[in-house]
Amino acid sequence: MTRKKPVTAILFFVLPFGLLFIAFYLAPIGYAIKQSLYKVTRTGTFGPAHEVFGGFEQYQRVFQNGPFWESIGRVLLFGVVQVPVMLGLALLLALLLDSGLVKGRAFFRLAFFVPYAVPGVVAAIMWGFLYSPNLSPFTAVTKTWDLLSADLVLWAMANVVTWVYVGYNMLIIYSALLAIPQEVYEAARLDGAGPVRTAWSIKIPLVMPAIVLTTVFSIIGTLQLLAEPQVFRTFSSAVSSTYTPNLTVYSTSSIPNFNLAAAFSVVLALATCLLSFAFLKVTQRGDDK
Amino acid sequence: MKMKAIIGLALTSTLALTACSSGGDDDTTATAGAGAASCAPSSGPVTLSFTSWIPGIEDVVKVWNAKNPNIQVKVQTGPNGNGGTYQNFFNQLKAGNAPDLGQIEYDALPSFRVQDGLTNLAGCKPVSDAKDQFIDWTWNQVSFGEKDAVYGVPQDSGPMALFYRKDLFEKAGIPVPTTWEEYAADAVKVKAAGGYITNFSQSDINQFAGLAWQAGGHWFSNDGSKWTVNFQDEATTKVANYWQDLITKKLVSAVPPWTTEWDSAYNKGQAWTWVSAVWGANSISSGAPDTSGKWAVAPMPQWTAGGKTAGNWGGSSTAVFKGSKHPYEASQFAIWLNTSEEALTLLNEKANLYPATKTGGSLAALSKGVDFYGGQKIYDIFAQAATEVTPDFTWGPTMTSTYATASDGFKAAVSGSGTLGDALKKAQTSTIDNLKSQSIPVAE
Repeated sequence: MTRKKPVTAILFFVLPFGLLFIAFYLAPIGYAIKQSLYKVTRTGTFGPAHEVFGGFEQYQRVFQNGPFWESIGRVLLFGVVQVPVMLGLALLLALLLDSGLVKGRAFFRLAFFVPYAVPGVVAAIMWGFLYSPNLSPFTAVTKTWDLLSADLVLWAMANVVTWVYVGYNMLIIYSALLAIPQEVYEAARLDGAGPVRTAWSIKIPLVMPAIVLTTVFSIIGTLQLLAEPQVFRTFSSAVSSTYTPNLTVYSTSSIPNFNLAAAFSVVLALATCLLSFAFLKVTQRGDDK
Repeated sequence: MKMKAIIGLALTSTLALTACSSGGDDDTTATAGAGAASCAPSSGPVTLSFTSWIPGIEDVVKVWNAKNPNIQVKVQTGPNGNGGTYQNFFNQLKAGNAPDLGQIEYDALPSFRVQDGLTNLAGCKPVSDAKDQFIDWTWNQVSFGEKDAVYGVPQDSGPMALFYRKDLFEKAGIPVPTTWEEYAADAVKVKAAGGYITNFSQSDINQFAGLAWQAGGHWFSNDGSKWTVNFQDEATTKVANYWQDLITKKLVSAVPPWTTEWDSAYNKGQAWTWVSAVWGANSISSGAPDTSGKWAVAPMPQWTAGGKTAGNWGGSSTAVFKGSKHPYEASQFAIWLNTSEEALTLLNEKANLYPATKTGGSLAALSKGVDFYGGQKIYDIFAQAATEVTPDFTWGPTMTSTYATASDGFKAAVSGSGTLGDALKKAQTSTIDNLKSQSIPVAE
């Protein structure tokens, strides 16, 4: 009864993905790891540079680099506040759209999603103008609070990121809501559940996988913040060249010290992976109960 | 399934970080070009690529292309050097696909030389023939004071002077300052009149270097075997304390430079002066068009009354990158661009560049009054300043990162935490660290 596996067919379907995966994922990662293990030697003040194997020397520099770890702390603080706010909003909007309370559902679905279609850099520049005391049309606000000062600029950026990604995350959660079978709602109604009760006890638990997914994406996005702080550097005195981990990578590679920049990248990638993994582990444990 | 998803996630997060770093090593070309490269004309038609951020450079190149059908230059424009173009150059060099020619400011030349990114043009006849045409200190910047070394063709220099709002000074009855002491005293009067004497730039560390340069500061020196780094010499400390005092007393504004907000501050007349280089004439006229006819130029304020020293801010060279297959033609173009009267005149018209050649100062274009500055013959002031710049200021080999760290500190200082002095101290430490991390010998 065993059937021969259609090897050629499998290869045919896997090959395009496999090749692109190797060319654009594995090879660059491998190259970055290789770069991070090398160092430069030279003789004299202008002697030509030679790359030699340096073991973990670059990693030692990474772990001794105070500003880098400060920046990791900064984005973690950012994430702890911004991710729940953003996803809470996204969930609320998705539930509202799904509840039938809102007229013109298609319009709002698109309207919430539109900010995501604005390139991140453009969004950051636009908000930067809104925040700048001399340019902002909202002078009443910018006169009272300097949104670009050291105390507030992190949250000013959190606002930009939230504005861009709420609609995107809402859409993911909303499609998960649409996938819930109607029979479940009928059963809930028969049991006498109102709209709020249905949302709390039926909808939210059933879209939990989507929420977990969006959280993981958000954690990754947070640790890799680059466009917003990079743009805000020109507007604000409070954003340094090592404000987020990715800015540190960028600044290091423009010295240019590619080996050290590669080591920073690898450490950042591992940290991101670790956090995402830890988050999945924690949420999975919840499922087993 | 879960495990796969996690691996996928991990890979996705690394992708963004590594995508930019791929590319081949160019060790082979690097070793072949040690010392003065052989520089022979190519046979047949040649196409050269050239990257620059000078406003209007396309029009200048068009003139060359029309005259030289066999040496066509393709120009590519981008942001200014520290604003991103240098990063592109470094990446392109790493990937082995740098353009033939690129604009590099004097302060960045050592960085590119230390990365082995430049072709030594000393063996190129068009360059060696033209040596005597250039002002000594600009030649010194591209040759590093060495024989048989030319790492770029000087393009322009950035002698500094005082741009000031003539109308506002006259209206308020304040005389134009000639010394830094008067400048600080005027700052109080200007504040009382509702303005700021100037906007202190938190990220133009090269401007600050120009101010320290005028005062006699020396940041780097290189004895051939070791670098010495010192951002805390007497002159630099004096300049840092001077500006820190103005910042502390809130006599200067601190709008981030080169932003729309900054333009708007000048356009609305909030800042009354700008101590800047000759090319700054273009920044004002394009950034603050409403103030046309209201500006004038005076020599830089002096540390001692009656003194005659000027600083320099910027100035570029045209360099040929390592790996260019046509160094001879590239140097022909670079020499034309930076010595011929037609090119220099155009560069001055488009971008207010001040030539680095000895005869450049007598260009017809430079003796004309400039309408934006009330018809003043502003280049006379800069011509004078050009002769007052001390020639022996040396730049270090990692200026991009020195500027970044110093600017982090300057930003902190203008927001009230720390001082300019602290910033310079920190920048010195981090510069030394950076040199060490790249095995560049440095004296402690």
